[in-house]
Amino acid sequence: MRKRFDQQLEELNVELIKMGSLCERAIRRAVELLQNPEDTRVSDVDRIEEEVNHKEREIETLCMKLLLQQQPVAKDLREISSALKMISDMERIGDQAQDIADMARFMQVKEIAHKIHIGEMAEATIKMVTESINSFVKKDLKAAAAVVKYDDVVDDLFLKIKTELPAMMEKDSKNAEYYIDLIMIAKYFERIGDHAENIAQWVEYSITGSHQELRQE
Amino acid sequence: MTKRIFKSIFAVSLIVLATCTGVTLGILYHYFGNQLQKELKTEAAYLAIAVERDGIDALEALPAQAERVTYIDEDGTVLFDNVADSESMENHAQREEIEEAQKTGSGTAVRNSDTLSRKTLYYAMKLKDGTVLRVSSVQYNLPALLRGMIQPLLIMLVAVTALAAWIASRVSRHIVDPVNALDLEHPEENQIYDEIAPLLTKINRQQKSLKHEIAEAKRQQEEFSIITENMEEGFLVIDAHTEVLSYNSSALRLLGAEAQTGRRSVLTLNRSEGFQNLIERVLEGKHMVTNLEFQGRSCQVAANPVWKEKKVTGAVIVILDVTERMKGEQMRREFTANVSHELKTPLTSISGFAEIINDGFVKPEDTKKFAGRIFKEAQRLITLVNDVIKISQLDEGKFFCEKEDVDLYEAAREILKRLEERAAEKNIHLYLYGPHVKVNTVKVILEEVLYNLCDNGLKYNKQSGSLTVNISEVEGNAQIVVEDTGIGISEEDKMRIFERFYRVDKSHSKAIGGTGLGLSIVKHGSMFLGADVKVESTLGEGSRFILTIPE
Repeated sequence: MRKRFDQQLEELNVELIKMGSLCERAIRRAVELLQNPEDTRVSDVDRIEEEVNHKEREIETLCMKLLLQQQPVAKDLREISSALKMISDMERIGDQAQDIADMARFMQVKEIAHKIHIGEMAEATIKMVTESINSFVKKDLKAAAAVVKYDDVVDDLFLKIKTELPAMMEKDSKNAEYYIDLIMIAKYFERIGDHAENIAQWVEYSITGSHQELRQE
Repeated sequence: MTKRIFKSIFAVSLIVLATCTGVTLGILYHYFGNQLQKELKTEAAYLAIAVERDGIDALEALPAQAERVTYIDEDGTVLFDNVADSESMENHAQREEIEEAQKTGSGTAVRNSDTLSRKTLYYAMKLKDGTVLRVSSVQYNLPALLRGMIQPLLIMLVAVTALAAWIASRVSRHIVDPVNALDLEHPEENQIYDEIAPLLTKINRQQKSLKHEIAEAKRQQEEFSIITENMEEGFLVIDAHTEVLSYNSSALRLLGAEAQTGRRSVLTLNRSEGFQNLIERVLEGKHMVTNLEFQGRSCQVAANPVWKEKKVTGAVIVILDVTERMKGEQMRREFTANVSHELKTPLTSISGFAEIINDGFVKPEDTKKFAGRIFKEAQRLITLVNDVIKISQLDEGKFFCEKEDVDLYEAAREILKRLEERAAEKNIHLYLYGPHVKVNTVKVILEEVLYNLCDNGLKYNKQSGSLTVNISEVEGNAQIVVEDTGIGISEEDKMRIFERFYRVDKSHSKAIGGTGLGLSIVKHGSMFLGADVKVESTLGEGSRFILTIPE
């Protein structure tokens, strides 16, 4: 009985890893697209996003099945409930990666993107997502804590971009709409960072049983 | 076992107890019946004596609690009875025992009472005067007797049962304890029951074969892990649920994963898209060989499904690091392309000049000039081909040369002498410092290396620069430092200058001359000698080539 349950838990784990790597791929593609709008792989992001949604449903069903059939307690229960929360964060990451890709498609002034910190922010966000999935895969508390901390870097970058843009808009008013797109993209990155942070926190919760945030307060 | 022995002993004791009690009771009952009869007889005899002497008065004195005594006349009329009233009693002449007594002198009878719970024994005796004296006594039957004794009997039964249980448990424990205390690690050393001895022998034998098998299995496992651990290739075995069953450290290294505890999915080792696809496909039963990139290294991954009863039960994955091979292939391709290009350029010129002469477009006085051009290009071709031959020879390691003691200072001096003329063209000063260090090495190759280093230093030097060769001994090794004041080499180029045909400044290669193989010859030559070449350089100021030759 327990063996079967363990197997199902491992299956859940594998599905989560797959979903996590899909998210990584989605955001990486979106960033690639941002750096090189002529890239024809836009539809790729759409496909990945669809896959992410599909995976979310699958994992949700699996979690429900586990909860109902096995009635887990303690750590097992935490693992499953945090999986349920994690997938919604992952799904949001996928959505926002798609949004970024959608906007990048119409960004014809890629030189602007090079002038501000958006590239740096993209890298930082990718790093956060990758690290948060890593911390989940390795069940690594330290890595999870590092991700939570790294969110500050992404937030700072967002603030920087926010202060950079108005001055540039003034100088280059005919391209104003792209600047607005850029600030939205930056905001998306910032949100993705937050979701990655959430994932890391759920990893922490599933291991320790308490939330870092609550402990600090 | 204890339970079973206990039960058996307990049951046996209970059965024995019950049988004993039953048999004893039966025998006793019978015995007491006879005894009673005898007593009645004796009593009657005593009473007869008394009655014959004193008449009926002797009976009057009998207490009421005594045995029932009846005195009957010849005609059957009851004369006396110590229990009932004689007047009201019926005629007893017809009674069995009385009749018998009248006839034979004595008679007995047994009559069951109405309730059947007791019976009355009668003994009648005929006196001398013809009257009959009858004595009777009551005997309870067995059930009634038992009913009367039920309390002590029950108490006894409980006590005896408890005793039996206690003894049974003690005994069974006593029997089983040695069995429990058996030392199964050394079965044959136990000496308790002879009956167990064959079993112990068998256990012993099985234990030995088991030990042997375990040792064998362990040895095989170790062998296997030693083999896989020493493999350069990554090796993974997974089951149908993608769980890792076995892996070696090379696999972890190539996939960039850490060692893990317990059975985890292979995707925790690496979750890149290509790898996921590969795992998925191989578990569908397809043999896969693909090139994937793990951590910036190109790897060839071969995956084979494992079939069992027409179902995929897992997969074996082998990962090969092919970065070096890819690099080698890339370099070979580049080399071929470069050689063809380098060969083609002078050939085209030669062919062109020859064609012009052939067509008669050249004035006779100019022929010499053209011939000179052709000669120069041909020379360049020869140098190039020579260099290529040298490199391939060094590459193959086919240089068959004897080692001899070489004076580095003298060797360097000769080479600089050969280059003097070329140095003068650019007004470059040549310097040579250091002691006469002697090294046992292959002279031809050493000279080749040194020549190319100095030649290089001249080629890329600026006008009126200098070239310094410094010979010294460092930590027992001979060291030659060739320093120029040329254009210098940038950090990125440092890695590549030893490659064949690599030119830092491609646009000026023609003006500088040379084949682009010089430093490549230096590298291969020093490798052949077991020497080490290092470059230090500042862009725009000059470079230092440090050649260290082991003694």
